[in-house]
Amino acid sequence: MRVVIAEDDALLREGLALLLKTAGIEVAAAVDNAEDFLAFIEGERPDAVVMDVRMPPTHRDEGLRAAVRAREIHPALPVLVLSAHVETSYAVELLADGVGGVGYLLKERVGKVERFLDALQRVAKGGTAMDPEVIGRLMARRRAADPLEALTAREREVLGLMAEGYNNSTIAELLVVSDGAVLKHIRNIFAKLGLPSDEGAGHRRVLAVLAYLGRDAG
Amino acid sequence: MERWIRGSASTTAVVGWDTVVVTTRLRECWSAVRYLVVGAGTSLLSMFALTGLFAVLLLCPFGIGIPSLAPMIRLSRRPVGVDRRRAARHLGEPIPEPYRDGSPLKDPATRRDLAWLAIHAATGTIIGALAFGLPLSALQQVVFAFVWPSVPGGIEGSFGLVVNSWPTAGLSVLIGIAMAASFLLVPRVARWKAGIAQRLLSPAPGVVLADRVAELTATRAAALEAHGAELRRIERDLHDGTQARIAAVVLQLGIADQLYERDPATARDLLLKAQDTATDALAELRTVVRSIHPPLLSERGLAGAVRALAERSPVPAAVDVEYEAARPAAVEAAAYFVVAEALANVTKHADASKVDITLGGTASLLRLEIRDDGRGGADEAVGSGLAGIRRRAEAFDGTLTLTSPPGGPTVLRVELPCGS
Repeated sequence: MRVVIAEDDALLREGLALLLKTAGIEVAAAVDNAEDFLAFIEGERPDAVVMDVRMPPTHRDEGLRAAVRAREIHPALPVLVLSAHVETSYAVELLADGVGGVGYLLKERVGKVERFLDALQRVAKGGTAMDPEVIGRLMARRRAADPLEALTAREREVLGLMAEGYNNSTIAELLVVSDGAVLKHIRNIFAKLGLPSDEGAGHRRVLAVLAYLGRDAG
Repeated sequence: MERWIRGSASTTAVVGWDTVVVTTRLRECWSAVRYLVVGAGTSLLSMFALTGLFAVLLLCPFGIGIPSLAPMIRLSRRPVGVDRRRAARHLGEPIPEPYRDGSPLKDPATRRDLAWLAIHAATGTIIGALAFGLPLSALQQVVFAFVWPSVPGGIEGSFGLVVNSWPTAGLSVLIGIAMAASFLLVPRVARWKAGIAQRLLSPAPGVVLADRVAELTATRAAALEAHGAELRRIERDLHDGTQARIAAVVLQLGIADQLYERDPATARDLLLKAQDTATDALAELRTVVRSIHPPLLSERGLAGAVRALAERSPVPAAVDVEYEAARPAAVEAAAYFVVAEALANVTKHADASKVDITLGGTASLLRLEIRDDGRGGADEAVGSGLAGIRRRAEAFDGTLTLTSPPGGPTVLRVELPCGS
C-alpha cells in the first residue's frame, strides 16, 4: 500500500511516516501543505491519503478542502482526515459524496497503533472510520420524540460501533459477544429506527446509519 | 410622436409639482401657525414658572425659600418638557432629556432651561399673536378696501390708516399683500424658534460626551472584570485538569522507566495507562480551547461556525446571513457564544418548534437576531442565560434587546460594535 501524508507539524509527520513504514506501508510522499499535496496528487494516485485539516498558509480548513478536491481528481480516493478536534459538520461534508473510503479521526487515535492501522486499512478498502467523538456527538443530539431512546444500552453501543465503521465480527470482538448476538442487535436497531434492513454490509450500511444520525444536520 | 409624449408628460409633471409645492407650503404654514400659537400658551406657562422661581429666590434670604428651590426647579421642568416635545415634533427629530440624577441645582441643564424660559416668556406670546393675527389682518385690509364706500366716514385699519377714498383703499390692499407676504416667513420663524428649543433643551454637547465617557468607563470596567473572570476560569481548568493529568503522565512514564528491566509487563501496563491519561488530557484541553475560541471560528468564520451550531441544535434552526465580513476575533467569539447560549435557552425554556438566526449589520456593527416561535414570556431577571448574554454584549459596548410577549414569539437582538 502506498500512502501520502499531508501534515504540517514535523514531529507528527515524521512520527506517522515512521509508524506506517514499521507496519510495512510505503510512504509515497510526506508534505506539509495542501498545495504540495495537490501537486503530488495530480501526478499519481496513491492507495490512501492521511491528511491534517489545518495547514499553511491560512491555517483554516485547507486540508479538508484539499481532501475534497483530491477526491474530485481521483474519484473515491481513500482519505483519512486527522484533526486536533472533530466537528460533526465536517464529517457530514466528508461523507456527502456517498462514495466511501473516508475516515475522520482525532490525532491522538494514532497512539492506539493497531486500531489506527485497522482504520487506515478499512478506509483504503472503501470503508469508513469515524471517530467515536463524532458519533457520540451525533448520538447526543436530542430530538423531540427521539427514536434513539427506544434502544437498549447495548443496542446504542452496537449502533455507535456500526457508525464508526466496524464490521459485525469486529463489533462482536470489541463487545466480547458472539457474531449471532451482534446480528440480532443490528436487526433490532434497524427495526426500531425504521431503517431498511437490506442495506447490506460495509460502507452502505455505515452511510445509512450516519445519515440517520446526522439527519437535519448539514 | 415620442417628443409629443415626452412634452405632455413633462407638462403634467410641472402642474403636479406646482400642486405639490402649494399643498406642502400650506401645510407647512398651518403646522407653523399651530406651533407658534400653542407656543403663546406655553409662553404664559413659562412666565408663571419664571415668576414662581423668582418668588422662591426672593424668599431664600428668609430661609423658607432654600428647601423649596429644588422642587420649584423640578416643577418648572414640566412646561419646559412640553416645549421640548413640541419642538421635537415640529422638527421631526427626537430631543433627548438632558437631566441627570441628583440635585437640579447642580445640573448644568437647569441653567439652559432658565435661558429657554426667559427667551420663550419674552417672545412666545408676541410671535404667537403675530402668527395668528397676520393672516386675519391681511384679509381685513383687503376687505376694508372694498367695503369702505358703504361705511360713512371710512374704516380705520392697521397702522392707523383710515380707508375713506380709493387711493387709501389701494394702500390698504398693498398693506394686506405685504402682511400676507410676511406671513410666508412664519414657517421659518417656527423653525428658528424650535431650533432654539432644540439647542437649549437637549443635553449640552460636552454633557453628551461626558455621559458617553461615563458609560464607556463602566462597560470597560465590566469588560475587564469579565475578562479577568474568564482568565481565572481558564487558569483553573488548565491547572486542575490538563496540568494535573500531564504531571500524572510524566509520573507514570517515570515509574515505567524504573520497572523497565525488572518487570517489563508492569512497565508496559504503565505505558498504556500513561497513554490513556494523555488522551484524557487532550480531551480536556479541547474543551478548554473550545471555551476560549472555538476552532471552527478560525477555520470557517462566524457564519460557518454559527451554521454548525444550528446543525447541532435540538430545536431545528435556520441561519440567514445578510452581511458577512471578517470581524475582530474577540467580537466573533462573543457573537458565537451569544448564539450558543441563546440556542441553549431556546432548547431549555422556549418549547419552540423552530429558531431563525440572522447575521447582519454593517462593516462596523455586527447584528444578531435569534427568533423562536416558542411560548414567549422570557424574563431577563429569571435565570442566568439572558443576563450572561447581556454581560457578553456589554463587555464589547454592545446592546441587547429582548421582546418576548406571553405566547411568543421571542426575539433576541444583539448588536456588537466592531471598532472600525
